[in-house]
Amino acid sequence: MRAFRRRRGVYVAQLEGDEATILARVVADTSALLGVPLRPGEEAAEASDPLAHLSWSTEGLESPTDPALARLLPDASRTDDELSQEFRRLTEPELRAAKVARLRMVWDALRESTGQVRVPADRALDFAAALTDVRLVIAERLGIRTEEDAEQVQDRVARRDVHQGPDEDEVHLALGMVYSALSWLQESLMQVMLPTMED
Amino acid sequence: MPAAPVPVGSPDVDTHTTIEPDRPWLTIVWNDPVNLMSYVAHVFRSYFGYSEEKATTLMLQVHHEGRSVVSSGSREKMEIDVQAMHSYGLWATLAQDGDPL
Repeated sequence: MRAFRRRRGVYVAQLEGDEATILARVVADTSALLGVPLRPGEEAAEASDPLAHLSWSTEGLESPTDPALARLLPDASRTDDELSQEFRRLTEPELRAAKVARLRMVWDALRESTGQVRVPADRALDFAAALTDVRLVIAERLGIRTEEDAEQVQDRVARRDVHQGPDEDEVHLALGMVYSALSWLQESLMQVMLPTMED
Repeated sequence: MPAAPVPVGSPDVDTHTTIEPDRPWLTIVWNDPVNLMSYVAHVFRSYFGYSEEKATTLMLQVHHEGRSVVSSGSREKMEIDVQAMHSYGLWATLAQDGDPL
């Protein structure tokens, strides 16, 4: 994996085939968590209704019970449940659809990549937003709640530390490596985007 | 160190008799261990149109103080801002000024 570089209005990062496959997989997992599985050859317009997988309640939408999904679709108030429910009822379908559309764009770019992933400059922030959503989900699965937790994951990845080696630790380490790679990739995209911002 | 500049010709506002029934609403962004500092500042610049300096100040306030009020105004406008922050993966909430956040 090589950092994003700017080439004539397009940001290009080098990715090995298996890296792109793994990242495409976690991007698809994130979309599935939002209720829309990504399938090859499916245009965004004819994609499944993002509400199809939701169970509706006449009382409005409740906070997701899965903490990772709750992080993608957070409550709009920490103190006022009524406000949170009303906000969720009004905004959640649109929010889900917006996130799925961005994830689909990243998924397409990863699947089409032949050694490099290309991001048009005008879609770079959308690309970064989708990477953020994937990282939020993985971080929740890794139990990252504090800055210290995040540093511990980074340390373990850097040391390839599998402890005694039970399967659970290997999965944890593999997920940590994906998280670390995504963080690095997103940071490299932010750095190459910076000079394009003007006050 | 020079003294803080004194505002010239600022209107004489009587803050004691002003009762403000329409308290503004606030968009608050909370710190989390996942969002990159560079990304958060970029979102503030791109979405709100803030200067690099203001976006960086707000981002650092989120990072160091745990939260920052990033915009204020009508409830309708703040709902749009909070939804936008959620779409970018930032942890944002809505509150009326003076109420518990």
